[in-house]
Amino acid sequence: MSTLHVLSHSPFTDSRLDSCLRICGAEDAILLCGDGAYGLQSAALQGKGVKVFVLAEDSQARNLPLPDWADSVDYPGFVQLSVDYDKVNTWL
Amino acid sequence: MKFAIALYSAAHAPSSRRALLFAQAVLAGGHDIVRLFFYQDGVYSASNNIVAPQDEQDIARQWREFVSQHQLDGVVCIAAALRRGVLDREEATRYQRSAVNLDAPWALSGLGQLHDAIQDADRLICFGGP
Repeated sequence: MSTLHVLSHSPFTDSRLDSCLRICGAEDAILLCGDGAYGLQSAALQGKGVKVFVLAEDSQARNLPLPDWADSVDYPGFVQLSVDYDKVNTWL
Repeated sequence: MKFAIALYSAAHAPSSRRALLFAQAVLAGGHDIVRLFFYQDGVYSASNNIVAPQDEQDIARQWREFVSQHQLDGVVCIAAALRRGVLDREEATRYQRSAVNLDAPWALSGLGQLHDAIQDADRLICFGGP
């Protein structure tokens, strides 16, 4: 069963991203949104092999370049991800 | 596909706007929203006493218009709402409070409505935090 993990907290202010990565399965993915988009600049995500998405408006609003290991999605793309993955777990 | 959407943050939080844009994209994509459940600070997103600054988006109003326009089931957790002073006319009368700040299209109800929506929906999507 695949899970889409949604993170909106900056990884530089708490440990949600680290906790998420500990339980992230091979079929799971992470969607960064809000200040969670700063995860694009976190070393924690690089080279982990986990699929990473970022909400386009949030990375653009923060002028964060899109690394080659992440994909950007708009809101219709967010909806499609929530269909593609069996469950959506938001790290509130 | 059927979606249940739970919102845990107030209208001034970016996550409330994100939830709204997601909900709009759900309907635009041809999916259904079985219920919107506003919980914890999310009850503030349903208050009709919110006055947004003129240079900011009025997300509470946009929520109200969205729910009305699509005749969605917008449920506000009654326990969370009472403790935050978000009352409909019935509750204001019951507890002898002078202010009423919740009316249509919203309905106060219990957490069971969230459980029921989760059973009915294919996906539960939660929004909260920043």
